[in-house]
Amino acid sequence: MIDRLTDHARRVLDLAEEEASRFRHRYVGPEHVLLGVLREGASGAAELLRARGMELEAARSGLGRLAEQGVVASPALSDAELLSMLGIDLDAVRQRTQRTFGSQAVAQATREATRARRRGVGRVAWTPLCGPPFLAKRVVGLAHRQAGAFGSVGIGPELLLLGVLDDISEPWPRCMSNRWRRRLLAYVDLPADYRGAARPLLEAFGVDRAELRDALVAQVGEVPR
Amino acid sequence: MNETVHGEVTAVAAATGSNDPEVALAAVAALRGLVEVLEALNVEHARAEGWSWEAIATRLGVTKQAVHKKYVGRRFRLGRSR
Repeated sequence: MIDRLTDHARRVLDLAEEEASRFRHRYVGPEHVLLGVLREGASGAAELLRARGMELEAARSGLGRLAEQGVVASPALSDAELLSMLGIDLDAVRQRTQRTFGSQAVAQATREATRARRRGVGRVAWTPLCGPPFLAKRVVGLAHRQAGAFGSVGIGPELLLLGVLDDISEPWPRCMSNRWRRRLLAYVDLPADYRGAARPLLEAFGVDRAELRDALVAQVGEVPR
Repeated sequence: MNETVHGEVTAVAAATGSNDPEVALAAVAALRGLVEVLEALNVEHARAEGWSWEAIATRLGVTKQAVHKKYVGRRFRLGRSR
């Protein structure tokens, strides 16, 4: 799924992760993707957001207020910081492990360790080796679906923003609230009913989502395929 | 780990008191997450090198049944694409 993202969209997701750690959040959610779109800045999506009063700095302070209200997590120590308190250099461990076993094996071991298993032995909520949990997966999935609808090959920031909007409006399937997910949410200091905070963030700026979506759709329609 | 982060951490640790369970438990959880993945990778590597479950268990200090139960049937693609 990830391989259809354009370089700009990848940059948006990288910046989203940076924004998350800037806020000292232990996860990456749709709200950070919004900030990523704004920080990448060059896309039509960022243009549309700016035209609706969402500048990067203003959006950051908006998310800061949401954190104060408890809608999203308040600042917490990162895994790297926690481990450094025990005298462990996480970056060094990660580099050495990836050099020894290859990054694919590390990723696989990570999935195994965090996956719900029958007997539940040696299962952890998360491991510091693979960065913060990416809780905006559905955003990327919905962007992918829209790309199919538009017949576009690459997924740019515009489609990512469309994914953020659809993620807000689409009802969440029941299976998205299982024990494993609830435990992960608690682990990264989020309330159990967390569904992404892009909605309150957009609402704080009085953004009309339906109108923004129409503008985006018009723009994506013009992009050469 | 750069200097600034280190400085921040000491500041936070000092502010919360190094014995704050909130921080200490979170650190332990992070450590466990690290250990689980390292153990899985190294057990898999040892198996690939032809180690027996018993030998692996001896080194890990657990029973061979424990290691076997936990890791049998797993296959990581070790060493490919780095």
